[in-house]
Amino acid sequence: MIQFQFITAFLLIVLGIYAFLAKRNLIKLILALDIIDSGIHLLLISLGYRIELNEVPTAPIYTGYETLKSPMVGPLPQALVLTSIVIGVCVLSLAMALTINAYRHYGTLDVRALRRLRG
Amino acid sequence: MKKTIAYLSLLFILGVLLYVANPNYGLKFGPGGDDWKNLRYTDDYYITHGVQEVGGTNIVTDIVFDYRGYDTIGEATVLFTAIAGAVALLRPWRGDEE
Amino acid sequence: MRPRCGTDMGLIVKTSARAIIPLIGIFGTYIVAHGHLTPGGGFQGGATIAGAGILFLVAFGLNEMRKHYNKHLYSALEGLGGLVFLGAAMLGIGTAFFYNTLWHNGPIFNGKPGTLLSAGFLPIMNLAVGLKVFTGLVSALVAIAMYRRWRS
Repeated sequence: MIQFQFITAFLLIVLGIYAFLAKRNLIKLILALDIIDSGIHLLLISLGYRIELNEVPTAPIYTGYETLKSPMVGPLPQALVLTSIVIGVCVLSLAMALTINAYRHYGTLDVRALRRLRG
Repeated sequence: MKKTIAYLSLLFILGVLLYVANPNYGLKFGPGGDDWKNLRYTDDYYITHGVQEVGGTNIVTDIVFDYRGYDTIGEATVLFTAIAGAVALLRPWRGDEE
Repeated sequence: MRPRCGTDMGLIVKTSARAIIPLIGIFGTYIVAHGHLTPGGGFQGGATIAGAGILFLVAFGLNEMRKHYNKHLYSALEGLGGLVFLGAAMLGIGTAFFYNTLWHNGPIFNGKPGTLLSAGFLPIMNLAVGLKVFTGLVSALVAIAMYRRWRS
């Protein structure tokens, strides 16, 4: 039995790859990049989950209501995904700037018109 | 023909990913008990020692800023460079001033 | 009808934005300042305050944003955030890079875990990264929004 978190993450990744293959608009390609990013984040976050027998794990934050014994999910994937989200925002802004320049230079967003890139 | 091959390869990728995620062969979802201690010992160390060693009660912030600080420095550099590149790409061009 | 560049939105949107923007700013500052105690941190709080700036840009238009936005000030603040982050990491250079010397044997920021003045350099780093993310995102969004004047 495969968990539904994994299935959702893989569906998002495959959907992003499909959009990369099928779409020819630059804005849609950037959206596909973001969808693949979301799928990878969901996969990594769900890898840090923990199942105990009688208790439900909480977020890895001591707010005073838990004791030290209560189970917590793994904090390491959350920290690395936090780094990954910021890098995703960076890639998004830079790709958006390049797309705006390409639209200004060519007058269209179609990738087939950008095929003949002259220096 | 090309499109058929592309979509078949997509299905192949999805099948490989689902095969990898099967708990009988590959990834285990949510290990608990002894498996948690054996497989996720780094997370267990951070949870049990984080408050004494770093001081913050938010373990994720402890990891981001103390244990994995080099990651955060590289990520801050990436953020700075990307914003600088975007602002430099979108500056008004030379022949543009009305 | 395509909205013209630089105009603002209607009266209802502007009044609502004028009421909501300070609340978003206060909430983002709370997230940044309590980053080592509660869920949140520098990145999330900085992105929240940047959301307030983007709401200002959308509601009041580009001409109003141009009066309140200083490019050199925001660039300097972004660099300052990065330098404060690096300097806080350099505090414990006698032992190692990223050694939390303020928490182990420092004069300040070494209270009981769970209070506001604890956790060594984590509050300083949270403030620095929050400032950096806020100014960076607002700079990128304003740069993208201002680049529309070649065909207007």
